[in-house]
Amino acid sequence: MRTVYTMGVALLSGLSLLFAVGIIYGEATDQWFLGGGSVGALLIAYSFIVLLLRKMGMTGPRKTER
Amino acid sequence: MTQVPKVIGFICDWSVDLKPLSDGGRLRELPNVRVVQVPCSGFVRPDWLEEALNRGADGVFVTGCPYGDCLNREGNFLMRDRIDQLQRRLQRRKVDTARIGMLAFGLHDGAAFLAEVKAFVDRIAVLPPAQPARTAGRPAVAQPAGTPEGERT
Amino acid sequence: MSTVVERQTPGRYARLMTTLLRETLRLDVWVNRLYPTDFNPLYYTGGLSNLFLFTLVLSGIFLFFYYDASLGEAFASVQYITDRVPYGGIVRGVHRYAADGFIVAILLHLLRNWFTDRHLFARDNPWISGMFLLLFGGFIGFTGYQLVWDERAQLLTSMFVAMLRSIPAFGATLTRLFIGGLGISDGTLVRILFLHIGPATALYAFLWWHYVRLRHPKIWPPGVWVLFCVGLVFLLAGVVPMTRETIPAAAPAAHPTSFPMDVFFLIPFWLLNFLPAGVVVLLLVALFVGGLAIPYASRRETPVEMGVRHSGVAQVIDGNCTGCELCYYDCPYNAIVMVPSPGPGLSKAAANRSLLAVVIESRCVECGICIGACPFEALELPKFLERDVLRQVAEALRPGSGQAVRA
Repeated sequence: MRTVYTMGVALLSGLSLLFAVGIIYGEATDQWFLGGGSVGALLIAYSFIVLLLRKMGMTGPRKTER
Repeated sequence: MTQVPKVIGFICDWSVDLKPLSDGGRLRELPNVRVVQVPCSGFVRPDWLEEALNRGADGVFVTGCPYGDCLNREGNFLMRDRIDQLQRRLQRRKVDTARIGMLAFGLHDGAAFLAEVKAFVDRIAVLPPAQPARTAGRPAVAQPAGTPEGERT
Repeated sequence: MSTVVERQTPGRYARLMTTLLRETLRLDVWVNRLYPTDFNPLYYTGGLSNLFLFTLVLSGIFLFFYYDASLGEAFASVQYITDRVPYGGIVRGVHRYAADGFIVAILLHLLRNWFTDRHLFARDNPWISGMFLLLFGGFIGFTGYQLVWDERAQLLTSMFVAMLRSIPAFGATLTRLFIGGLGISDGTLVRILFLHIGPATALYAFLWWHYVRLRHPKIWPPGVWVLFCVGLVFLLAGVVPMTRETIPAAAPAAHPTSFPMDVFFLIPFWLLNFLPAGVVVLLLVALFVGGLAIPYASRRETPVEMGVRHSGVAQVIDGNCTGCELCYYDCPYNAIVMVPSPGPGLSKAAANRSLLAVVIESRCVECGICIGACPFEALELPKFLERDVLRQVAEALRPGSGQAVRA
């Protein structure tokens, strides 16, 4: 299971890089919708990365919820 | 501990549904686990957990709602904090902190709850007996040395 | 869901609410398989609403800088934002989709707190203020659609005027107040702008009321959901842009008869297709008043009537209270206040106190958290005393006790 999560994190990280490039490209060519959509996609990818990290156990709950 | 450990659970009214799991004051599947129902997990005073240990329980746990879903919003968080503090106090008196537990389960989490309680009981079963040793048949209100919390009536 | 049930036969409404509660919590089991419980969005519906509101405020401030509230220039200024301002179209989309998200989050919040009984007896303040928040939120969304001043806005305005006119006695005055005179003019748009921003600010006043009976309100969702919701709003703004709906500008000569529907805010106007304006107004009023009545309407108003454990409101044992404030900090409903002690307590620890805890009984939901917090045994639930608990513990631990303990 852990390898699935790790692969997921790696895949999402790659996609995040792609979206970041999309942001810069959209900014450079004045295509605002591409840039804005890439911002959104990047944030969503980040949210899934955080979720997978949590399910892997690499980030944990607050001390009060152990 | 040689025999089946005696465990007391304080279980919140709003957390796991006890109707299919218990009859009267104990869990059907784990008859050594006695159940005291409380209005909220935050209602439990840490003194009562200590009292249960002093009166011969091998372990004691509190069950509240899943974190984030306490009906009274913060009861389970507060209880978790209090149990943390209690465990630190008990460590100083050489009481094994594994004897006190905090669980968090929702209405339909009966199976997960039972599994967690069973794991808790198994953890206690392999611990050395609590000091001082008790003679069977007589509940010992054992006061560990240097009771700091004022007079106990 | 309380498992300590002491009533005989519950009524139909009570049975329905119990079923709704059980099924809502059954949903939690599935969500908790995907998300750890501290990420479960259903536990943070209030925070999600707040997140969307914050996004709306920020994007709204951006839009406000460019908006021109006059009949001739409003549409043009909105076009300017979309076409000429960098990221303007994105911010418009963010504003629109965050508003949709806001309504979704508010409705989830409403349903969750309704079905899990978190609005009864001492917990009715958040419900009442929440109803006002819903009403104001819906109205703000409607005025937002008007501000664009395209043909949809034009039709919406005349529909709204029809609804206002149908109100007996006050209809004409309200219409004149809303339009700012006898005909639609620049002043109308200025008023609509006020009716958009003013109530949005008033939302924060209602939020103060919403939080006033809660300690540590959960006003922000977990980070995962902040990322996801803001990201979703931006992604939608980029992929489904606002310019997709090409509605022409409003013009005095145009008499639009239809517009693209929006299910989040414009359902009352869709109803005008089938019902006269007066009936729609009556329906909205009935929904609002009915919503306000929900905590009081059934006979399930107090723990006794709900058939759950009713241990009585917490009582301070004056002689033992040392004024340590631990109960004050732990009570989730701000039901305990500290007052200057009128005299010394009875026990040695309480003899030198300067503060005394007092329970405000109308705010107490009988949860007993204060009893757990107090180190000095200065609080009790009248029908579930500490000695009752210790008696149960002792009975359970009596050697050879095989009998069931009376719960």
